[in-house]
Amino acid sequence: MQKLENRARICLLLAAVLFLGIVLFTWRLVTHGAEWATFYGNTQIYTNGMINRGTVYDRNGVMLMQCTTDGVVYPESSTLRMATVHAVGDPKGNMSTGAINMWKGGLIGYDLLNGTYDTTKDGKKITLNIDSSANVAAYNALGSHNGVVGVFNYKTGEIMCMVNKPSFDPLGSLPADPNSSIYFNSFLQGKMTPGSTFKLVTSAAAIDYDPEISSFSFTCDGVNYYRGEKIACTHAHGTSDFERALAVSCNGAFGAISREVGAENLKKETEDCGLTSSINIDGIKTTPGTFEFPTDNDVELSWAGIGQAKDQVNPASMMVFVGSIANGGKAVQPSMIKSSNIIKKLSGGKSLGNYLSEDTASQLKSMMKNDVKVTYGESNFPGLDIYAKSGTAEVGTADNNGWFVGFIDDPDHPYAFVVWVEGGGTGYEVGGPIIRTVLNTLIQNN
Amino acid sequence: MITTTLRWVFVVLAVYILLKCILSLLSTRATPEVWGYLYVEDGVGIPVTHWENVVGRSKSVDIRLQSPTVSKNHCILVRRNDGRWMIKDLNSKNGTTVNGTQLIPSKRYIINPGDEIRMGGVKSTLAAISVEESNNNDELRKLDKEPMSPWKTMVAITIFQILAILQLIIGMGTKITPMAVFSMLLLSVIMWVYVIASRSFGARGFEMELIAFFMSTISMAVTASSSPDTTIKQLAAIVIGIALFLFMCIYLRDLNRTKQLRPILIWLSVGLLLFNLVFGQIKYGAANWVSIGGLSLQPSELVKIAFICIGSATMEELFDKKNLMVFVVFSFFCLGCLALMGDFGTALIFFVTFLVVSFLRSGDFSRLILTFVGAFLLGLMVLRFKPYVAARFKAWGHVWDYADGAGFQQTRTMSFGAGGGLLGLGAGNGSLKNVGAANTDLVFGMVMEEWGYIIAVLLVLCIITLSLFAVNSIMAGRSTFYTIGACGAATMFIFQTMLNVFGAVDLFPLTGVTFPFVSAGGTSMITSWALLSYFKAADMRKDASIAIRKKV
Repeated sequence: MQKLENRARICLLLAAVLFLGIVLFTWRLVTHGAEWATFYGNTQIYTNGMINRGTVYDRNGVMLMQCTTDGVVYPESSTLRMATVHAVGDPKGNMSTGAINMWKGGLIGYDLLNGTYDTTKDGKKITLNIDSSANVAAYNALGSHNGVVGVFNYKTGEIMCMVNKPSFDPLGSLPADPNSSIYFNSFLQGKMTPGSTFKLVTSAAAIDYDPEISSFSFTCDGVNYYRGEKIACTHAHGTSDFERALAVSCNGAFGAISREVGAENLKKETEDCGLTSSINIDGIKTTPGTFEFPTDNDVELSWAGIGQAKDQVNPASMMVFVGSIANGGKAVQPSMIKSSNIIKKLSGGKSLGNYLSEDTASQLKSMMKNDVKVTYGESNFPGLDIYAKSGTAEVGTADNNGWFVGFIDDPDHPYAFVVWVEGGGTGYEVGGPIIRTVLNTLIQNN
Repeated sequence: MITTTLRWVFVVLAVYILLKCILSLLSTRATPEVWGYLYVEDGVGIPVTHWENVVGRSKSVDIRLQSPTVSKNHCILVRRNDGRWMIKDLNSKNGTTVNGTQLIPSKRYIINPGDEIRMGGVKSTLAAISVEESNNNDELRKLDKEPMSPWKTMVAITIFQILAILQLIIGMGTKITPMAVFSMLLLSVIMWVYVIASRSFGARGFEMELIAFFMSTISMAVTASSSPDTTIKQLAAIVIGIALFLFMCIYLRDLNRTKQLRPILIWLSVGLLLFNLVFGQIKYGAANWVSIGGLSLQPSELVKIAFICIGSATMEELFDKKNLMVFVVFSFFCLGCLALMGDFGTALIFFVTFLVVSFLRSGDFSRLILTFVGAFLLGLMVLRFKPYVAARFKAWGHVWDYADGAGFQQTRTMSFGAGGGLLGLGAGNGSLKNVGAANTDLVFGMVMEEWGYIIAVLLVLCIITLSLFAVNSIMAGRSTFYTIGACGAATMFIFQTMLNVFGAVDLFPLTGVTFPFVSAGGTSMITSWALLSYFKAADMRKDASIAIRKKV
């Protein structure tokens, strides 16, 4: 019998394997349970391949999408649908960044204890930070243009407005291929030539790394030959100091500044300003921007500092960057889902760290005010304490893409914005009126 | 929203029922019965605590004599049914004498109390235990932890069963048949009748049966939810299973009788498997079903019961190589038949049980490893030739990439299972039941979805507990026959549960075997109950088991 006692340990070994397997399975269940439960094969929560419970609201309680066993219900107004579809997503969840896809666990109400058991019978609510009326305003203001409008609260990180055009009606017939271009969210996933808006980064680099910048001076003849290459402007800007160079957006001057600052410093500043990183927006990872600052080609470097050459920036990152200028250099992580966390509301959103020093931010801020005064016209923004930079990205087509980025200094409405209009021409001319409308709508509603 | 509350009640009841049974079984420390004393020269009396004892110098013997003249395994002392003792010399170097007569090695001799036994240079006498001492020992055994009183647990199980019926009615509405409801009530009645009747025959330990009744309840609920019409069949299987269990418990009481049964079992099994090979029908890719007069059964399941009995051996047989050969040949016959049927999962179960049992019997690890390697190569060949099995292995580990192909069943199991959360969606509310083999191969997922993770894992813990109990029982075991039987049955349960659960959740390739006591299916249920008798036969707690003859 003694012999058997020793040998019988092999049975204990088998039992231990079974036990460890269960432990492993439990670990997987804890870490992947939400993923498993929300898998499209789960007919408890999917009817005909569509999530059958849960509702998405905007920050003011407007229903944007409701999943039911009879299909996905959208608002009556087609403009509202098209202005918010990039936030909520299409019925099948083909748009990877839509709420129905990103936060389906939240819609279904999965948690480890209850699984998909629905204690309320209609699923959970998700409240987004966007204000749908601002989305509609932005959508309408874009008019016949395609483009992107994004606004966020640079203190709390709440994304107040996010519109992409061209848009589509989620109730229309939709392509089954999730890679179809209509499901692309340019604000989050796109990257485009920043044009003169990048001069903000070059300016920041100049403030940080060029001790001579206060005595900078450049005389623009409109053509600005450098080593036999033209670094042309729209017209002759005459003689500018650093501040005026930004206000008139003089390419010649910024080419010179870029060369003074140098490739290494420009590269470092671009990285510090978060433009080459992906930002995590409640699980959505924005596309990082890409830049090249050659050390052996001053002409290319000049154009890179002007925001042309191979510069590519993501609109959301650009928005966070200008938000950091408004917020004393501190960048705040943007968020789509409304938080019920009171502490978060009081202390502000999650910090992404300091993109800029407080001094640099403050100097840039006053330069952006000067831009508005000198070039964009304060009278074009009645009632708004606006700080901005315009951009006109030359992409080799007949019509240039217009950018308008900035923020307003208003303790109750600390909003930073990015507007990009495809083929819109001069940035402030096309973007200014759009953002004025959107900001006014937001201030009125919130 | 009664379900919202019921889900909690079910989990609390299940935890109460199963933890009570599990803890009672695991805290068992049966004091060995004393059957006599071996007095050696210096007057020390060594208690003889088993029916079968190895005497020798080695550390692993039951009665250890530390003299260089004694061989490592010198001789064995065996108690017969009539209470007389036999001695058998195990080819010891210096031989054994009884009252001066030299024993012929490997031949049995009857000895009487007081006979002078000389092993090498050690003189000893075997003394029968006096009535007084016997009573003292009994008193000592009474101080052991008593088997758990069954009543409170049974009330809890009954409440569980009634609430389960209620939940099924809420969950399924008119889809649940009156017959299914009636069958579940009847199971409750059967449990009470069984316990009250066995108690009147003096049995006092019911933890294992209550665990089995609880698991059978879940099985009934799973069947009622997935295929209400067959619930009555499932009940019939439980009843047949319990009858077979009782029969085997009583049969196993007599070791000689059981030993004599083995040749019959061998031929019966051979007949069943051959019958299956000739008349088998293909279901889910394996020809392991036979249909007789509208009843379908799996002969290979029934052979499991015989397999354990044939694999078990008394101490005497352990020292007899020929006896092991019979088992080896029989095992390979079974494996061959299962391979022909294409029942890969069951073949694995037989194979692993064979490995464990032959290791228990011979203790030969190198042979075990050799066999394992041989089988591994054989397995590779099977994979090479059986595209169906190969396809399942292909999806293994990344079933989500084959979610609508080879990983269909596993991904659904995990998805619906996770959807059940810790508490489940409520019996009858599940959706996994619409997937093929949900109530058999994927039953773990079905239990998770409808009853929740906690209850599903408790069921696995029950199986683990049985195996711990089987190993623990060796300490006080009368004969190696019973302990090998219990460990063999435990191996079957454990490995089968492993294949079932791990296969369904993609820790193993899906092989399509049943979860003991839980999966729907008659033959599997009958076999589970019958195998339980091997555990009962190893339960040496005083007056606990119906399978143990009381000391006379």
